[in-house]
Amino acid sequence: MDCNGCEFLPELYYDDEYQIWLRREHDDSLTVGMTDISQTIAGKILHVRVRRPGTPRPPGKPVATIESGKWAGPVPNFIACTILEANPEVLENPNLINSDPYNAWIARVSPDEGADRALKGFLTGEEAHQGYCKRAMEEDIHCHRKYR
Amino acid sequence: MSETHTRHWRLIDTGVLRAAQNFAYNRALLECHQENRSPNTLRFLRFKPSALIGFHQDVRQEIYLDYCLENGIDVQRRLTGGGALYFDEGVLGWELYLDKKSLGTAQMPLIAEKICTAVASGLSQLGVDARFRPRNDIEIHGKKISGTGGAFDGDSILYQGTVLVDFDIEKMLNVLHIPVEKWSDKAINSARERITTLKEEMEHAPQLEEVKEQIARSIGDAFQVDLNKEDDLLEAEKTLYEQALNEIDSPDWIYQHNRPRDDSSIKESITKTPGGLIRIGMSVDKNRSHLKQIWITGDFFIKPRRVVLDLEAALKDTPLSEMETTVRNFFNRNHVEMLQLKPEDFISAIKKAMSDDTVTHQKVTS
Repeated sequence: MDCNGCEFLPELYYDDEYQIWLRREHDDSLTVGMTDISQTIAGKILHVRVRRPGTPRPPGKPVATIESGKWAGPVPNFIACTILEANPEVLENPNLINSDPYNAWIARVSPDEGADRALKGFLTGEEAHQGYCKRAMEEDIHCHRKYR
Repeated sequence: MSETHTRHWRLIDTGVLRAAQNFAYNRALLECHQENRSPNTLRFLRFKPSALIGFHQDVRQEIYLDYCLENGIDVQRRLTGGGALYFDEGVLGWELYLDKKSLGTAQMPLIAEKICTAVASGLSQLGVDARFRPRNDIEIHGKKISGTGGAFDGDSILYQGTVLVDFDIEKMLNVLHIPVEKWSDKAINSARERITTLKEEMEHAPQLEEVKEQIARSIGDAFQVDLNKEDDLLEAEKTLYEQALNEIDSPDWIYQHNRPRDDSSIKESITKTPGGLIRIGMSVDKNRSHLKQIWITGDFFIKPRRVVLDLEAALKDTPLSEMETTVRNFFNRNHVEMLQLKPEDFISAIKKAMSDDTVTHQKVTS
């Protein structure tokens, strides 16, 4: 499934601007990553820093920061959670987010109020697919990962 | 002449401040902008002598801390990405707080290009030939006069850069880990071949007010806005500024370790080719296997001379695995005259530096 070449996975959960994806794990934790749209906009990612495991993060306070080109900024966070772990492979090779954004997860977090409540504000499935395509079309974002 | 536009941005000038104060403003203004409390803004700023590392850098890997402490040079961490810098009062800083939507593109490299092109056009009004050089520089005849970088938070961006008006290159070499031999005339000359100032280009240091006026006018034209000068900040911005200063003006913020201390090194090589001697000095991030910065010198013939500087710019922050392709693409794209010298010679010289562990020395000072 894709839009303007930007890959979309219907089983994941997305914020309403499709900046991040969330995946529910068996232990009720959530895995966080950047979407194909997001990594395309960011360009080649050179640094990723994730807050230490055990750090509580309120909504609005980032779980991780990234740097691409000369740009630095947060990977947005919308839920109250605690950091469980960072993906060591991504810390070592941040470029994996560009080449494989849905496998190159950034962090795993434990939502304070459980996964069900945390995921309520996110979009998934067909509804998310439509919104994802709308953003790619409206902002004329084209992903070229497959041809790199 | 500048046109009149219907949209307005704010223009502020905070004068010469300590780095911590300047970056506390960065955080306060970006945060207020992100909350829709601040308007789009152009700020001019200057620094007391300061060594400034990029958001994700480690102080000890990038600067000579002892020298800074002995010489009263402030050390600070920026909010924006990129490499370490040395600034003093001779550097004019400019920065923009904008929302991505008003820029017509969300793509970071395009935003950088649009802003840098506008600033370059303003500088050109002073009678120099300033141009944007990908990915983030403004150059005059191949020599860098302005470096830039950005930070983002939601839909708001902060994009900042400098203009070297009058600059102490020797001091910069003492402060920063740059891939050249220190304390030598050669290093200073190499730096002078790569960096220029308005004073050098115009044969006199221009009035700062004139430089600011040209930059502001050019940004106004590029974004179709009028800039209205304001002397005071909003109350919300002042409150956030005080909070940010408390956090930023502390060793915890400045000296936070983001990665292992031994992951960065300077590598060197000297290669004899039929076209002459190629000398490579480069800093490499070993953990991430990418080339951070490279200086190429030697006695080879190449025309135009700026080709070497452009090649250095093209190789900045390149994964080592893409080095060869980057060099080949660069020579395919540019018309270059060389005497008995081939693109392969540069590739071999860089490869030699990459593999030459005997000349590797850690950039970490105690």
